[in-house]
Amino acid sequence: MHPRERLPYSPIEGRPPLALPKGVRLVVWPVLALEEWDMSRPMARMVISPPQGQPMLPDHPNWSWHEYGMRVGFWRLRKMILKLGISPTITLNAKVCETYPSVVRACMDSGWELNAHSYDQVPMHKLDDQRAVIEKSMDIIEKFSGKRPRGWFGPGLTQTFDTLDYLSEAGVEYIGDWVLDDEPVTLKTRHKPVVALPYNFEIHDIVMMALQHHPSEEWHFRALDHFETLYAEAVERPKFMALACHPYLSGVPHRIGHVERTFAEILSRDGVVAWDGSKILDWYLAESKLQDAAA
Amino acid sequence: MNFPKPAVGMLPNDRLAYSAIPSRKPLKLPKGARMVVWTITNVEEWDPTQTMPRTVLTPPAGGSPMPDIPNWCWHEYGNRVGFWRLLQVYDEFKIPGVMNINGVAVQAYPDIVKACVERNWEFVGHGYTQRNMQKVENERTDIRKSAEVLERATGKRPRGWLGPGLTETWETPDILAEEGYDYVADWVLDDQPVWMKTRGKPILNIPYTQECNDVAMMLIQHHKASEFCERAMDQFEQIYKDAKGSARVMAISVHPYIMGAPHRAKYFRKIYEKIRKKRDVLFWTGSQIADWYMKVGPKPAV
Repeated sequence: MHPRERLPYSPIEGRPPLALPKGVRLVVWPVLALEEWDMSRPMARMVISPPQGQPMLPDHPNWSWHEYGMRVGFWRLRKMILKLGISPTITLNAKVCETYPSVVRACMDSGWELNAHSYDQVPMHKLDDQRAVIEKSMDIIEKFSGKRPRGWFGPGLTQTFDTLDYLSEAGVEYIGDWVLDDEPVTLKTRHKPVVALPYNFEIHDIVMMALQHHPSEEWHFRALDHFETLYAEAVERPKFMALACHPYLSGVPHRIGHVERTFAEILSRDGVVAWDGSKILDWYLAESKLQDAAA
Repeated sequence: MNFPKPAVGMLPNDRLAYSAIPSRKPLKLPKGARMVVWTITNVEEWDPTQTMPRTVLTPPAGGSPMPDIPNWCWHEYGNRVGFWRLLQVYDEFKIPGVMNINGVAVQAYPDIVKACVERNWEFVGHGYTQRNMQKVENERTDIRKSAEVLERATGKRPRGWLGPGLTETWETPDILAEEGYDYVADWVLDDQPVWMKTRGKPILNIPYTQECNDVAMMLIQHHKASEFCERAMDQFEQIYKDAKGSARVMAISVHPYIMGAPHRAKYFRKIYEKIRKKRDVLFWTGSQIADWYMKVGPKPAV
């Protein structure tokens, strides 16, 4: 379906505001992504481009750069998250259960929400059988953790025109791929509707660091600018702020300090709480039901 | 040097002669002002069945996915949410608005059009769709349809045109003049308006900007958000200085999906906090600039 068939245009001005629980002004949504980069293919991202621009396979330097994240970076971020006392959404390539089971188990031990991020880090457009890969991803994570994921992020947030229909079929209740609003919105599919939670790729370490090449302090700088705007607007209507971390980017020594102080400062403000995707979804479903009932 | 002439239209050099700014007769603004600032908001509709004009997040290992849902949504955020932040700045600082909008966007985003019509913003033609004018099937139809849509929506025919990505064919100014446009802003070659020859009536070019432009700064050059204000102030101060004795025009250009993002909006606002109260700076629309220049500036060569 064309995106407009799934969700008509609607300006945020004039929408009746939903209500967050008393005392909650802004909800932070921490998202940590765990990926598997298949070495027989070009690497998903590169920090060092090959000499003379000649692509190489295997790409040891960039594979290693990503692998650092799983070996070292993740554990730094985990320590930080435990120290902050928050519960993130962990979006993972299902293959990570096979290749890095200890990482997934550490997330499960802390009770963190697991979210499906396809099978491995390949855009949805490149898959021969999207539907099968979606089902497989959901099944693997369910089998490993005992719980079927409620949410999904496509690799690079990619979707085809049909992806949402397959996701709904597989039991996905929410996605983060549609960065078009500050509030959750409900998307039509050929089966049950799917909720798009307000995600963004502005406060996103791949975009800022790997693609736009900002200095590490920009993590903090941009996040606070983003926060201050939403926090002021949150007086009138609920605001959500997703912060996206990847262990090989946010977990490196020269960035983790900026990431930690960003979370600490934002969470120290009045009325700011951290929720995972599951919790945001449940709030939205309950609130929109109330609103529909009142209408 | 003599360049080969195109089969249709004209070489840029044949539309306007080189002229050194210090050699021109001084331009005077009313009310003792020395420079004009015009602030343009660009609203587009991006067709999800075509390649996205800009992207911020590329897919893993590259490639151009079709559809490109992430980048389509990132742009759509601007019209759902970002625009209203920019509008607040226009309202608060009483900046006359210039809405540079795709013909198709008029139908897609009626709330934006309504808000601008209510505030008496000037509407400027920005392509019928968001496409390179060189790739459009029939340029005249595109230009004409844009004028018709804008006239229907606002009650007024657009006087100005600013092409998608400032693109033009060899003929664009000729067609614009024939289709009743008075000014164009694609030619970022001066700090003062300048007349250009067409095969028919001359057309005026008004200074627009690729420098104080959020697409260039944020999406192409990957600057941090504060650069928008810093650069605008550096530009403003220089142009203000240059404007001693002869008027200058400065443009500031924003797109809702860029400067309307939560982490950027304040840097748009900050510019006007600093410059709006200056007594010798006028805040005008393109139409006002055109009228002024046509009255006091040199007449076009015939």
